[in-house]
Amino acid sequence: MTSSSHALVPSEHSPVAGLAHDQRGGISNPVLGMLLFITSEVMFFGGLFAAYFSVRANAQQWPPDDFSHTLQILPLVGPATILLISSSFTCQFAVWAIRRDDRTAFLRNMTVTVALGVIFLLMQATDYSVLGSEGLTLSSGTFGTTYYTLTGFHGAHVFGGVIMLSVVLYRGMAGQFSSRHHDAVEGASLYWHFVDVVWILLFSLLYLLPGT
Amino acid sequence: MATTALTPAASAYRSGLYAWLTTTDHKKIGILYLINSFVFFFIAGILVLVVRAELAQPGLQLVDDAFYNELFSMHATVMIFVFIIPVLAGFGNFVVPLQIGAPDMAFPRINAMSFWMLPLGGILLMLGFVTGGAAAAGWTSYPPLSNDQPLAAVGSGQDLWIVGLVLIGTSSILGSINFLVTIFKMRAPGMTLFRMPILVWTVLVTSVLVLMATPVITSALIMLFIDRNYGGSFFDPRLGGDPILYQNVFWFYSHPAVYVMILPAMGMISEILPVFSRKPLFGYKAFVFATAGIGALGFSVWAHHMFTTGAVYLPFFSLMTFLIAVPTGVKMFNWIFTLWRGQLTLATPLLFALGFLSMFLIGGINGAFSASVPVDFALHDTYWVVAHLHYVLFGGSVFGVMAGFYFWFPKMTGRMLSETVGKIQFVLMFVGFNLTFFPMHELGLAGMPRRIADYSSAAGWNDMNMLATIGGFTIAVSMVPFLWNVFVSLRSGKLAGDDPWEGNTLEWGTSSPPPPYNFDHLPEIRSERPLFDLRHGRTHAGATMPDPAPQPTHSAG
Amino acid sequence: MHPLRHPRNAALVGIAFVVMGIIYWAVPYYGGWHLDYAGLTMLIFLGAAMALMAYVLVAGSSKE
Repeated sequence: MTSSSHALVPSEHSPVAGLAHDQRGGISNPVLGMLLFITSEVMFFGGLFAAYFSVRANAQQWPPDDFSHTLQILPLVGPATILLISSSFTCQFAVWAIRRDDRTAFLRNMTVTVALGVIFLLMQATDYSVLGSEGLTLSSGTFGTTYYTLTGFHGAHVFGGVIMLSVVLYRGMAGQFSSRHHDAVEGASLYWHFVDVVWILLFSLLYLLPGT
Repeated sequence: MATTALTPAASAYRSGLYAWLTTTDHKKIGILYLINSFVFFFIAGILVLVVRAELAQPGLQLVDDAFYNELFSMHATVMIFVFIIPVLAGFGNFVVPLQIGAPDMAFPRINAMSFWMLPLGGILLMLGFVTGGAAAAGWTSYPPLSNDQPLAAVGSGQDLWIVGLVLIGTSSILGSINFLVTIFKMRAPGMTLFRMPILVWTVLVTSVLVLMATPVITSALIMLFIDRNYGGSFFDPRLGGDPILYQNVFWFYSHPAVYVMILPAMGMISEILPVFSRKPLFGYKAFVFATAGIGALGFSVWAHHMFTTGAVYLPFFSLMTFLIAVPTGVKMFNWIFTLWRGQLTLATPLLFALGFLSMFLIGGINGAFSASVPVDFALHDTYWVVAHLHYVLFGGSVFGVMAGFYFWFPKMTGRMLSETVGKIQFVLMFVGFNLTFFPMHELGLAGMPRRIADYSSAAGWNDMNMLATIGGFTIAVSMVPFLWNVFVSLRSGKLAGDDPWEGNTLEWGTSSPPPPYNFDHLPEIRSERPLFDLRHGRTHAGATMPDPAPQPTHSAG
Repeated sequence: MHPLRHPRNAALVGIAFVVMGIIYWAVPYYGGWHLDYAGLTMLIFLGAAMALMAYVLVAGSSKE
């Protein structure tokens, strides 16, 4: 073949170093990717919260008279919140466990986390049906629309998180994780903490912030 | 030239359909992005040719109002979301890993998934045409117009539009994550951030914008979907909502989006100008900071699209909008000073780059007029805005895309495009473009509103509209030499070799097309022009370099 | 470590947007115009997201 040649000779460093575990320091690619994904999710909820604050500021009365006592912390939402926060703790225990190669503790804590996540979703679903029977639906004016949209998308993210954690649990049971090799656990747990933080914010806004 | 006997001949890289459909190689995915984008470019182009044919003369000759609304709404939607944003992502996909000396992107399978969401999303968008009426409330889809059923008939076009866009937005977000991790984690040793090629910098900033802004439009679209289908009341004033809220959230994305649509093109121009003027890019660091500045400021100006709503804090947005001219001006001067006293080779990539500079300048200037609130009050929703947006998006981005296409086609395929045919395309495109859009300044100043299917013959707009239509069809004609060039060159273009342009950056240091793993060897990296340095003996190629004159020690093939 | 390399300092880029948000709130509030809560919320979320992103990108980069 006739073309100009550059006398390129072997370089000592392999360009593939960044693909696998990072010997050069820094956060591993999948974990970094998850953190950036979480950043984008922050902005997604930002758009929804923007709508919420705007709608709420423009309302004469918040909550509106029809629904002044509909949102109740007990018996469902408050306990569900406590469960979700606890699940973040158990999730972090699982991460710490696998970091020190304690597979038993990892599996135990991860199972509890998944279970707590599922229970949260069930409690949320029950709460929805209670609210529905009290007349609060998506079409109940801005109060209903914002409530269901915000909590609904949060719930969808919890659902996604439960799936992710279940996959991690399954892979853990198949013995795929070790102290040196558990990016998926770190990634999934970061996502789970994010979901928890969003809920704390949501819960405070929807249930704790005094109305006008 | 790949320098070991182990490297297979170029023909071995041609792969069957299955390989293309299942590839996770960033180079193939980049090419797939380009193919898909150009297919939709032609579709959106045909849509607007019907618009221009209708507007050439007063009176409704070809279509009715309702279908006309679908035409311009879908033209813009497809051009923005399925052509310009993805085509730039496609160039980024092909070039960025090569320019940083990486073997692929950080997440090759997510890369493939990001691509395949695009034809699917595009099809969903267009499906409205056959299900009773495509989206017809403009690409901006403001409620209450978009809250109602499609204007043409009872159909699901608007909902398909929403779903298609959410899918495409997700593809963009995943792509941006991929670019950011790749750029930050997979650069070759020696390539510090300030030795990266400018194209990599612009893709970096673009990816930040995509990451931060796209989720916001996803939220706006979802809220619109809820309003349309589940009795939601986000944007319905009768139920306590506010239509202006939609505009606010929508433009918080859509303004940064325009920088997403231009920055990578600017990056490509910044690669091309130094090569064809045989001079380094003037003011590399200023360029980087200007790009970052445009990205940051781009988030602060969104409501300049809403000046006339009465719901906007006007002085803040007007001031910030004028401010953006500053970093953009810095770039303009840097490009000009790169060319100044350079040894210019007027090859097709440079012609398109010069076209970019001049046309984008016009687009920037007419945009600055609109930044002034009282001027905007008069010109908002007139053809002045259509002129502005096309001067920056077509005169800017599309010319940039063409420049990049002619520049990197040899690297992608191993073949050169015909210079003669390329120049014919350039002339036709340049003339056609100006003929189409320059009269629109006049039309806007004369008060012609946007998005109207027909106009009174007494308004005095006839001649300008006819000119614009002739120009539009000239642009269409310019696509003929373009396609001819591509298909003929693929078959029998001159073989390109590794480095047909004497390029500055790493991609020109491997074969054309590159092997699947990109590089056999990487040179020392001591500046943003590693190949230039190597060629001129400023760096060594590595530990055991025999001598500067290339002596092939193996016979090829 | 050079101050520009420290991830904590990179997060300051988020401050720029929060400051923008504060101006965006303060001027209409004290000037008597109506407040745009939607824009304000989005700017503040943007500041938080930018800070997080800048932090992880700098912290996550390879050390060289």
